[in-house]
Amino acid sequence: MSFKRISIACSVATFGVYAILILSLFYFFRRETLWDTLLSERTLFSIRLSIMAATISTLLSIVIAVPSAFALSRYDFLGKRAVDTILELPMIVSPAALGAMLLIFFNNPLGLWIQDHGPQFVFTFYGIVLAQFVTVAGVATRLIKAAMDEIPVRYEAVARTLGASPAQAFRTVTLPLSRRGIYAAAILSWAKALGEFGATITIAGSMSMKTETLPIAIFMRLSSAEIEGTVVLILILVSIGLSILYVVRFLSTGASYA
Amino acid sequence: MLEVINLSASAGCFVLNNVSLAVIPSACHVILGPTGSGKTLLLESVIGLRNPQGGRVVLEGQEITGLPIERRGLSYVPQDLALFPHMTVRENILYPIRIRGSNEDIENGIVRELVDSLGIRHILDRSVRNLSGGERQRTALARAVASGRKYLILDEPLSALHESLKKELWYLLKDLQRRYELAILMVTHDLEEAFFLGDTVSVILEGKLCQQGRKEDVYEHPSSVEVAGFLGIRNLFHVNRASVSADSLLMYCEDLGTTLTLPLSSLKSRSLETSSLALGIRSEEIAVLMPGELTPHVTNIIEGIVRDTFENGAFLTLIATGRGSSTSLETVLPRMVAKKLGLLRGSPVFLRLPEDSLFLVDIDSAGPFERLSS
Repeated sequence: MSFKRISIACSVATFGVYAILILSLFYFFRRETLWDTLLSERTLFSIRLSIMAATISTLLSIVIAVPSAFALSRYDFLGKRAVDTILELPMIVSPAALGAMLLIFFNNPLGLWIQDHGPQFVFTFYGIVLAQFVTVAGVATRLIKAAMDEIPVRYEAVARTLGASPAQAFRTVTLPLSRRGIYAAAILSWAKALGEFGATITIAGSMSMKTETLPIAIFMRLSSAEIEGTVVLILILVSIGLSILYVVRFLSTGASYA
Repeated sequence: MLEVINLSASAGCFVLNNVSLAVIPSACHVILGPTGSGKTLLLESVIGLRNPQGGRVVLEGQEITGLPIERRGLSYVPQDLALFPHMTVRENILYPIRIRGSNEDIENGIVRELVDSLGIRHILDRSVRNLSGGERQRTALARAVASGRKYLILDEPLSALHESLKKELWYLLKDLQRRYELAILMVTHDLEEAFFLGDTVSVILEGKLCQQGRKEDVYEHPSSVEVAGFLGIRNLFHVNRASVSADSLLMYCEDLGTTLTLPLSSLKSRSLETSSLALGIRSEEIAVLMPGELTPHVTNIIEGIVRDTFENGAFLTLIATGRGSSTSLETVLPRMVAKKLGLLRGSPVFLRLPEDSLFLVDIDSAGPFERLSS
């Protein structure tokens, strides 16, 4: 078998693993359960809560990630390597550990002071947003930095010789050129936040109609052996996730600065 | 005037040493050097993309070394032009105007004139991604001039173009320079481009500024063997003995097996006792004599044999050696003349090295000289 065939077989096999997992859901799929589950107040709340929390955490992440990525891509500064390394934290630490770290932080004097003088994070909507934010901010920064690294620094240099300040050069040249990368980072972050479970359940708990996001709803239905309902919720999550990834693919094509 | 004073900069292990030069208003100064000689490093230090390790950059009497790029008053066109790919030609040209907060349109004043003189009106609404090489160059030049800055820094902007288009743009650049009274500091490795566009020329080799001056002076009197070698002068001969006779210099070159006469003025400020010298002459300055032109008062004649000939379009490059010598002389003559003289391999030939075309160069190091003369 040629190398080409082997490599194609591997990619098809990988696809097959995931396809089998998705298709196997239909073994427990019941049409009548679909509408009951989908239209139930609890499910609709979970969808609304998940979308709202994911949207807010993504917006916050992008607002922080864009300037951070620019700094990491363009400047040398003290501690740059440490900042660059810690962006990977959400990828190397399990989500549950990340949630536990948040919980421990809010039991420290500083965390307690924040909770006393600001919003409550533990077992609240803010906790969900915070858990999703810490999970996706690093990834968003990494993705946007990769997009900015692709843009030659000369564009900004030339913009500045034409009279633009560094901020104007960033706004008029770097930002529009990295637009696709930022969109892609935002959408992937949103999809990741939507599916976030470990950190969220650790800090926000699993309170029905309060902190029950879609992944937590799946976990809770599975815990109470409601397989058909669980399947419907998984299909909702998979549908949203795959649609988002399709949009990302569409946005990521065609960016070249050579 | 733009002055670079004792500028030193480094990139990795490459060091640019103590470079000083000046660009006078409305003139073009070309920095000429091979790839990797430090030309781009010098330009980047001047425009502020790199921090120099020493020295100063002064624009019209004001030191700009520590100023941010946008406040230096220098417009820059890099080698790849850096046209903003998310904008149209119109948006690129209007960029320096819009960034100042002005709402001027393409039809206003200098921009309209620029667009018309550069012949880019028909491409104004095209994306810069869809432009040909020449259109890209024109757009980049229009944008740089539209900034209203009088000092243009060009980093080999024409290097990617084919010959005919490149020459067309030389004329265009000269026209822009005169029309808008621009001072240009440009780098190139192309000798023809440098001597066409430059009013003054600097030669930079291995991070060291070896010679600068009016282009005629650099062209006619390279200061060292290294510069002469870079300028494409193949005929360089070691001077073994030198003496003064009346108003002439007599130079004995063992390589050629003969003594050549030069005007005394060729010596300039050199001392015969302390200088180690070589004698040079451009290939195109060596005359091939017809038998009737050989008269007793004609000096600096070398009788030789044609070793090889190479056709180069309308010209013929002829390699000859003097009788009793193994050192080659290279000369270039029109192909028609060569045909008329019947110059073939093995033919006897008389070469005249005119006194005024010979020049003396200092030998700083033996390496390149040995290579060129062998």
